[in-house]
Amino acid sequence: MPSSNLVGNRERQFVVVIGFSLTLYLTDITWEVRANSRHFHKHRRRRSFLCFRWGRYADNVVRSFKYSPLTFLPLTLYEQFQRAANLYFLLMVVMQCVPAISSIPWYTTTIPLVIVLSVRGLKDLANDLVRSLTHPPITFSPSQWKDVCVGDVLRIHKDQIIPADLLLLCSSEPHSLCYVETADIDGETNLKYRQALDATHTEMTSDPTEQTLAAFNGIVLCEEPNSRLYTFRGELHWRGERHPLDSEHILLRGTVLRNTDTAFGMAIYTGSDSKILRNVGQLRVKRTQIEKVLNKVVIGVMLFLLLMALLLAVGSGVFQGRVSSQIEVLSALTRGNSPIYTAFLTYWSYVILLSPAMPMSLYITFEMIHVLHSLFIGWDVEMRGGVERSIPAQARNTSLNEELGQVGHLLSDKTGTLTQNRLLFRQFDLSWNPFSCGGLYLSDQRLVDKLRGQQCTQSRQFLTTLALCHTVMTEWRNGAPVYQAASPDEEALVGAARELGWVFLSRTRDSLTVSELGVKRHYQLLTLLDFTSQRRRMSVLVREPEGGLKLYCKGADIVILERLQKDCPHLESTERALDLFAQSCLRTLCIAERTVSEAKWEEWSKTMAQAAMTTRNHDDMLEQLHDDMERDLKLLGVTAIEDRLQDGVPETISLLRQAGLKVWVLTGDKKETAVNIGYACRLLDPDTRLLEGDELRSNIFTHTHRRKHTDTQRHTFPAGEKSALVLTGPELVNIHYRSKDLENLLIQEPEWGARFMSLAGLCQSVLCCRVTPGQKADVVTLVRKNTASITMAIGDGANDVNMIKTAHIGVGLAGVEGGQAVQNADYALAKFSFLQRLLLVHGRWSYRRIAVFLRYFLYKTCSFALVHIWFGFFNGFSAQSLYENWFIILYTVFYTAMPVECLGIFEQDVSAECSLSWPELYKVGQRQELFNTWLLAATLLHALYTSLVLFFMPLGVFYNSALDYQTMAVTVSIASLFSIILLTRHWTKWSVAAMCVSFGLFFVCTPITHSPKLFEKSPVDYYFPGTHLTSTTNAFPSPVVWFTALLTAWTAVLPSFTILMFDLFSDFPQVHITKHGPVELQKSGFRRGDSHRRSSYAMSQGRGIGRLITSGASRRITFPPVDRRGTLGDNVTLAGQTQSDDAPKNITENGSSK
Amino acid sequence: MKEELETANRPDNTAFTQQRLPAWQPMLSAGIVIPGFVLIGLAFIGIGVALFIASQNITVLEKDYTGVEITSDCYKCSNPSDKNCTCKLDFSLSNLFEGPVFFYYGLSNYFQSQRSYGVSKDDYQLSGDLDYFKTPISACSPYQYDANQNPIVPCGSLANSMFNDTFKLYQIVNGTKKLVPFDGKGIAWWTDYNIKYRNPSVTPLKNAFNGTVKPPFWSKPAYELDTSDPSNNGFVNQDFLVWMRRAALPDFRKLYRRITEGDYASGLPAGNYSLEIGYNYPVLSFGGRKKVVFSNVSWMGGKNQFLGIAYLVVGSLCVVMSTVMLIVYAKFKFPEDD
Repeated sequence: MPSSNLVGNRERQFVVVIGFSLTLYLTDITWEVRANSRHFHKHRRRRSFLCFRWGRYADNVVRSFKYSPLTFLPLTLYEQFQRAANLYFLLMVVMQCVPAISSIPWYTTTIPLVIVLSVRGLKDLANDLVRSLTHPPITFSPSQWKDVCVGDVLRIHKDQIIPADLLLLCSSEPHSLCYVETADIDGETNLKYRQALDATHTEMTSDPTEQTLAAFNGIVLCEEPNSRLYTFRGELHWRGERHPLDSEHILLRGTVLRNTDTAFGMAIYTGSDSKILRNVGQLRVKRTQIEKVLNKVVIGVMLFLLLMALLLAVGSGVFQGRVSSQIEVLSALTRGNSPIYTAFLTYWSYVILLSPAMPMSLYITFEMIHVLHSLFIGWDVEMRGGVERSIPAQARNTSLNEELGQVGHLLSDKTGTLTQNRLLFRQFDLSWNPFSCGGLYLSDQRLVDKLRGQQCTQSRQFLTTLALCHTVMTEWRNGAPVYQAASPDEEALVGAARELGWVFLSRTRDSLTVSELGVKRHYQLLTLLDFTSQRRRMSVLVREPEGGLKLYCKGADIVILERLQKDCPHLESTERALDLFAQSCLRTLCIAERTVSEAKWEEWSKTMAQAAMTTRNHDDMLEQLHDDMERDLKLLGVTAIEDRLQDGVPETISLLRQAGLKVWVLTGDKKETAVNIGYACRLLDPDTRLLEGDELRSNIFTHTHRRKHTDTQRHTFPAGEKSALVLTGPELVNIHYRSKDLENLLIQEPEWGARFMSLAGLCQSVLCCRVTPGQKADVVTLVRKNTASITMAIGDGANDVNMIKTAHIGVGLAGVEGGQAVQNADYALAKFSFLQRLLLVHGRWSYRRIAVFLRYFLYKTCSFALVHIWFGFFNGFSAQSLYENWFIILYTVFYTAMPVECLGIFEQDVSAECSLSWPELYKVGQRQELFNTWLLAATLLHALYTSLVLFFMPLGVFYNSALDYQTMAVTVSIASLFSIILLTRHWTKWSVAAMCVSFGLFFVCTPITHSPKLFEKSPVDYYFPGTHLTSTTNAFPSPVVWFTALLTAWTAVLPSFTILMFDLFSDFPQVHITKHGPVELQKSGFRRGDSHRRSSYAMSQGRGIGRLITSGASRRITFPPVDRRGTLGDNVTLAGQTQSDDAPKNITENGSSK
Repeated sequence: MKEELETANRPDNTAFTQQRLPAWQPMLSAGIVIPGFVLIGLAFIGIGVALFIASQNITVLEKDYTGVEITSDCYKCSNPSDKNCTCKLDFSLSNLFEGPVFFYYGLSNYFQSQRSYGVSKDDYQLSGDLDYFKTPISACSPYQYDANQNPIVPCGSLANSMFNDTFKLYQIVNGTKKLVPFDGKGIAWWTDYNIKYRNPSVTPLKNAFNGTVKPPFWSKPAYELDTSDPSNNGFVNQDFLVWMRRAALPDFRKLYRRITEGDYASGLPAGNYSLEIGYNYPVLSFGGRKKVVFSNVSWMGGKNQFLGIAYLVVGSLCVVMSTVMLIVYAKFKFPEDD
């Protein structure tokens, strides 16, 4: 057939061109998959040993554990010595083993290092064990999955989870369409369709036997595995032809096949190569701001110590040259070393001697306190949610607690996070009905009775509209229809109609079947004018069973009200109802109908057919035609849908706003929905001005252009007013440059981000609508880059994973959508409202505790170690320790650890209740008032002062006296211990006990390490025998020692006490003002005439799926489908039903129970 | 796994897990803080006064005998080449020097706290382990072996540099010298005498030292340190023990003798005294000083004015601070009054 040949040729040319362009621009298409050739792929399978990997193709087994008995030790050591601190301590150990420089023996550092390494290692091991025991749902896979190899052709049945990234070859549906639910990937509950290539479709469906599939020998060349969920580039080489592939041909692992009996696909990416697992990725190591400051300070302290060691070393060189050369006793000891060499050795000795200023126990205690704080979060009874409070809050990342007390920006997902993702048909207003003025609750039994009893045509029509005007598809399960809708709103409306007796049964391409109060009626569907975001309405034109054409229409109030017949009655009462509904933050829709004459329809459909042929101004013409049909409407009523908020959301948001947090909402939903929810959850006040679109754009410009003249800027930007930014994903991209993605934009134009953020800083909130998961993460990045504040992202679905991982802190709601968010989150909560406690109580406490703990810890170690600097001047800079070795070890581990730990665990400045009722207290953390470089510098200065006091006060007493070195060592030890304990502020019975235990330990351990027995065993290690409390000995009973220690300690802490007091007094008035300031949860009053709040008709995100329905591409689901699962031999087993099936039931049950 | 879930599901409601432990926080209000400061200040002043008075009651007589000045009798001995030089130091007491009188020698600018000096000893050897008599540990180097590879006992710089001036105190009564008896017993730490340092259990002690040499600076071997008392020899010699107990600071005293016997049990009566010094120990080469100190003690030990004064200063500082605090507090509390 020449004609078909021609077509084939043309196609081939076309394909070649595309292939050329692909190879030209996309050089990374290197991933090769050969269908049905296991042999080819098997020996390229990826294997790994320790951290080495080779091979290309991952197998489909996803391991959730990291260690095996053999690899644990090397792996954990490898990981741990990647931390600079551990390496540093290892270096110390090595240095201490060199006799020439070892100023304190090797075990002073080795013992703590071994403890640290083993504790960390065991912790990692435990985490790993837990992970391998509790498979996250995404890695849960039936046993057959592991056999899937790249290139295999798989058969997927309805409701099965797709086990690998597949190229769709064909399906049982017409045009090889198939539907997938992507809830686990992007959190969207509506169905998406995928379509196979024409080439494979025609070939495979013509003879869909297993042989054809087994013989399929196409080769897919595509990009390397990556994390981009929405793009795919590649080509299929088959039978000498090249077919370009894109994401529409790909079924992603983790999605669920719906409404499609069978689909056949070829595995392209398996296991860890699959897009979803690439997306899960490694949990990025998050470091808190405090940690960063701490690290800076640690480095600063280190440098200071090194400098001091250098100066002291110079001192020792000079001492040897000038002083000890004169003293025969000492000069003999230099063994002929030159002063410079001595100085060199002394340098290292001092580095070792001063190293306890930065002890390892800091890190281990820090970690321990983190873990305990995390446990507190899990233990908190008031943060348990779910049925019978069975779901505790969970801190999955144990090292971010203090940052919970510093959050400045909360970026929240909407669906499922702020709202329950359960729409309730709450009220409707039948405007002609005198009884329904102001709207009736759906639960009102009178209404139900009235509707059922009354034969009022208008109310019937109202319900008929609800049952007919939609794009919902039904599926029969257990003898009842289950609705699958593109938008939850539609589902709610159809469900409501069902509750009131108008049961939508099924649809075909051109008909709808509805049971009206038990009477089954078939409507012929003439046309469906689908919803778009511009039109904001949808209509169906049907032929009634009795004959006669009706147009049923539903849409946003503004759109519908302007299309009504002239002198339409009840307009005023409808307006009133709309206002009322809007006030209670219900989403409203106007329902209208129109009787259309056959002649009109014929003429219209003709014009429509013509319009379809023309290509020029196609859209405009269609628009006009639609307009032509949807006019002279008769208003039937108004529906009100409640997008149910989660419990306590408005209170939480208002509390968080008082605490100084900026709450942003990032949602994939429509702008109207988002704004509506914004009002409902008190994110926006009723008088908040919304800046959107062009106004926003111009504001960003003026704002920055006049940034230098702040006075004029105040005029252009209404700073006095409350305002909020509303922008959509596309706007986000296009707002300045027409760049492809936001990330590029921000990279290219970093100033833009700064401009935007400075504008956003003046606003009370920002709503980002219609944003993709990627854009959500970009917004987080934007905030992170341009502000210093800590960002927290909260979400519940897989579409929030990106954002959760990008933010400083990610919170996942343990909710309905798969639990992916939780898997990637740092914290898991059962409810949004638990953020109150998480941030204001746990976060604030954690921040306070950790900040105070770290300062206290640095103070105690530095003050204790820096004494050696001063002592150097009195021992010829010889790196002589002023303490006994064992005191150095036990000081941080035993004697002072417990008071410090108690502080880090129990410190509470105010109770939980106070924290919640005075949210302003939270701002302390946002402003980093408790832990910043200056405070740390002050702490270190205090430590320096203390070390001076610790040394020179005893010096004054001991100078020119008969008291010896050992006595002085003990005195200084006691003094430093005293001063640490005097600084304890929060006294619980635990901290008192800890203090007593610490003291007790000191008085128990000291005699032990000073005991004659141990001295006899090893005189080098226990060289201080004889410090007993018993009368036969010298140091302890001496009153001079005690008086000196007491005085020294008090003098050491005196400045800190004084500053504390002055702080207290100067803060006094303000603290009390803020504390007693009335804290009111604003009740949002509604203002009339605010048009924003009414027209909040929200449908699915994109275009409706009406095109598919009417084109007949969709299979009719008119009868309960036969379950054919059992009859077919599977290579893929049933992977279980998802919970989302129950969703429609919930809605209807709820509706009826009200 | 299941068990874990069950425990997780059980709300654990203790004061600890819910962080509701009863706590007492020092209510840092002015009403407590200011009086608190005053009280602490007063307490410190009280202690300071007590310490100061105790210190004032202690009599101290300190005499430098280094011999730097030509007028000093010991000037002649300051030449290090002069061996076995004796000089004397005369002084007179106008009142009774109340007893018991402690007699110290003091050194200044002497770095006993130097690290390599401090570790230059062999604890095993000093605890009487004969193995270490043969082979002292290397920390003793360069006083480990002498030029002929004989082990030095006691080895090390610390022992080698033992203070070896000798003192004899005479009261001049009617022109005749009357020896003031010194008590050299029990001046060392109990643990030093009983545990840290021990002679090898060899009798006579001299035999233990066969094959070893005395430290180069010593004039007598260790087993002949005290010819008058055989039990006061070897490593348990009191003077040796006192010396081996290192001082922390470069200026220090060490107890030499106590005057507790005979006519002098109640103290040194008024009169003229002459201290006869066997001047052996060289300090002038490095600018050191030697001195002798007579002192009596109180409940708080030796004379120590610093501590009392420091207490007084810190105590007063607290009181001053609380006054300032009171003013500041008043300013903030009643700002309208200004």
